[in-house]
Amino acid sequence: MSWRWALARRVAALAATGGGRGAQAQRLLPTSSAAAGTCLLGRHHMPLTSQIRSKVVGCRGAALVSSRWLHDAQYQVRQDGASRAQQDPFELVADELSLLANRLRSMVAAEVPKLASAAEYFFKVGAEGKRFRPTVLLLMASALKFPLSESTEGGVLSILADKLRTRQQNIAEITEMIHVASLLHDDVLDDADTRRGVSSLNLIMGNKLSVLAGDFLLSRACVALAALGNTEVVSLMATAVEHLVTGETMQISTSREQRRSMEYYLQKTYYKTASLISNSCKAVAILAGHTAEVSMFAYEYGRNLGLAFQLIDDVLDFTGTSASLGKGSLSDIRHGIITAPMLYAIEEFPQLQEIVDRGFDNSANIEIALDYLRKSRGIERTKELAREHADRAVKAIESLPDSDDEDVLTSRRALIDITERVITRTK
Amino acid sequence: MSWRWALARRVATLAATGGGGGAQAQRLLPTSSAAAGTGLLGQHHMPLASQIRSKVVGCRGAALVSSRWLHDAQYQVRQDGASRPQEQQDPFELVADELSLLANRLRSMVAAEVPKLASAAEYFFKVGAEGKRFRPTVLLLMASALKFPLSESTEGGVLSILADKLRTRQQNIAEITEMIHVASLLHDDVLDDADTRRGVSSLNLIMGNKLSVLAGDFLLSRACVALAALGNTEVVSLMATAVEHLVTGETMQISTSREQRRSMEYYLQKTYYKTASLISNSCKAVAILAGHTAEVSMLACEYGRNLGLAFQLIDDVLDFTGTSASLGKGSLSDIRHGIITAPMLYAIEEFPQLQEVVDRGFDNPANIEIALDYLRKSRGIERTKELAREHADRAVKAIESLPDSDDEDVLTSRRALIDITERVITRTK
Repeated sequence: MSWRWALARRVAALAATGGGRGAQAQRLLPTSSAAAGTCLLGRHHMPLTSQIRSKVVGCRGAALVSSRWLHDAQYQVRQDGASRAQQDPFELVADELSLLANRLRSMVAAEVPKLASAAEYFFKVGAEGKRFRPTVLLLMASALKFPLSESTEGGVLSILADKLRTRQQNIAEITEMIHVASLLHDDVLDDADTRRGVSSLNLIMGNKLSVLAGDFLLSRACVALAALGNTEVVSLMATAVEHLVTGETMQISTSREQRRSMEYYLQKTYYKTASLISNSCKAVAILAGHTAEVSMFAYEYGRNLGLAFQLIDDVLDFTGTSASLGKGSLSDIRHGIITAPMLYAIEEFPQLQEIVDRGFDNSANIEIALDYLRKSRGIERTKELAREHADRAVKAIESLPDSDDEDVLTSRRALIDITERVITRTK
Repeated sequence: MSWRWALARRVATLAATGGGGGAQAQRLLPTSSAAAGTGLLGQHHMPLASQIRSKVVGCRGAALVSSRWLHDAQYQVRQDGASRPQEQQDPFELVADELSLLANRLRSMVAAEVPKLASAAEYFFKVGAEGKRFRPTVLLLMASALKFPLSESTEGGVLSILADKLRTRQQNIAEITEMIHVASLLHDDVLDDADTRRGVSSLNLIMGNKLSVLAGDFLLSRACVALAALGNTEVVSLMATAVEHLVTGETMQISTSREQRRSMEYYLQKTYYKTASLISNSCKAVAILAGHTAEVSMLACEYGRNLGLAFQLIDDVLDFTGTSASLGKGSLSDIRHGIITAPMLYAIEEFPQLQEVVDRGFDNPANIEIALDYLRKSRGIERTKELAREHADRAVKAIESLPDSDDEDVLTSRRALIDITERVITRTK
């Protein structure tokens, strides 16, 4: 189903006032002519004042207008057809996400065909991590909306609101670019690694492409950041990059003492997982012109959400989809990465430390460690810690300035819903 | 000779009006207490108004004040003790003291909290591994060349403080440029599997590919933070574009198609991206920070661009000729890596059959000999030198087009920038 067609359907649904298409959001197929499509739609379906506005501000303006209109449309439909109270928070912004994904994909593929393999990462079917960040950011943008009275429709404030939305979407794109760049650079292998397995030529080329593709994305992120014209945001996102690098370095160069330390582990986890989402949430708030206090709430939400996510990730690596231990992929422990559950278990059973120190090349050793973990409260305590962070994230949302805008409230509920999903997910 | 001691000597020279301290600039040892030292010196030697200013603006202000004062001192001495004609002043020496200041700041700016990352990031900022410091030198000279005239009566006034602040910000551009440059070197070495860089082992050889890549990213992010701190979005944009160009240039180099490899146009575009864009955009940034018009900023940009291009073209020649005038004595590293540069492209224009030789690739050293033979017969080297000369001339023209000034520092710096273009063209290594 084409993007434009689906949107037209929605428009028709809206026009038919409270149409019964249902709250089920359609996932739209990507098209590379997203901007053109938006313009086209803009001119066909907007009221007269908007059409005049389109001519005045040009096609880009129309795209901006439609960007917010699209956003409003998403929300409107879902509320109209809300027979179920439990709206999937990811679905709330699905259409905008497609827009973003298209922009990102076409940018990467068109500019540097050779680096198209980097674009693969954007399409990889992943776990909930996929599109997680942009979803959270778009919802945060909505949750932080300043109220706009209906009478300003077509006025200057309306245009500014559109511009802001686009800028906040840009943060989401920049965040994805930084995230994928870090994945690519983390993939770079050293000679020691290349000796194991695949042909060396592949690995060398793979290395070069990884470095280059990552650099390309980082440089594009820089340019996009600069274009936002806000130096505080540049600083925030640059700090996020620095943290990603620091976290990865911490992971590949831990000393023995550090590997036993929960504090070190949580710090590394903040750097590697939570910093990006927390700084970009803050950037979204700053772009909207919020106070330092409100921006801090946005930051706190992101930070605690990211930490909760990673902690549950650690648990799932042991348990998998079952509740029982050892059914997970165990990839952390196989790579010698000691995560929260194991660290807690070591606190209870000091003798486990020796086993951990022996390393896990020997799978029998893994079994022994799992045994201790089973006996300990490691898994439970990790879940408790994750719950703690999730609660703090919820609290941050609840501390946001009051609003009676329906969109704002829906988004905030969605953000809270996400923390619940993060805690209770089984994969 | 300690930094402070040397500066004290200069101060004494200045105070003794036209003293015989000699125009020979001393290379000062870096010290980590630069700011404190400056403060100390500042309080000892500055006139009363400045002392009051120091107290008002605090130590940092004193450092700023001294930053410009240091700069002026550099120039003053060299002019006072000028027994040798001014034309012969080494342009690099003109800003040697400021460069030390920059080097210290850079070292503190790239300090990381994780030890492994710290050693990686600091690798090329250690004493001895800083390279020729070509870029910072050009940028500092450009900053001086673009100085707005400040009448002496404003000494101690608001304008003076602003001038100091500006100088520091322009120095920051030089630091940011160095960080971006080193970040790109670290990544390039991974891409090229390089063993050495700046006369020492490459970082990827010592600490591995991954850490080199991470260190490069770290430097880039620090550069971005420093950029953001300048609070000028146009400058942020310029430097971000430079970063993008570096990557584009590297991508062009790695992924050239056959047709592209024959094209002089493609080659010059790639050269602009890889070599000239960074220096030209940072020259422009220096001008913009100073509040110059778009026209003047463009002239600064043009200088940097043409200087960078000239530099690379001569680099291409030297890769063939080395320190001798004759062909084949250079390192030939470009051709060995399959990189076809300007001299060879010109030769192919004259001898189309050379194209086939080039297409065969240069894994076989016999093929290199054949190509060198054609190159020798052609005017490839000469034409490349001519093109470099052309760009050098344009760089000179850009400087000459700058708004008139009768400030001695400004004129000295402009002469130095012109001198640099000459050195770039005539150097033999």
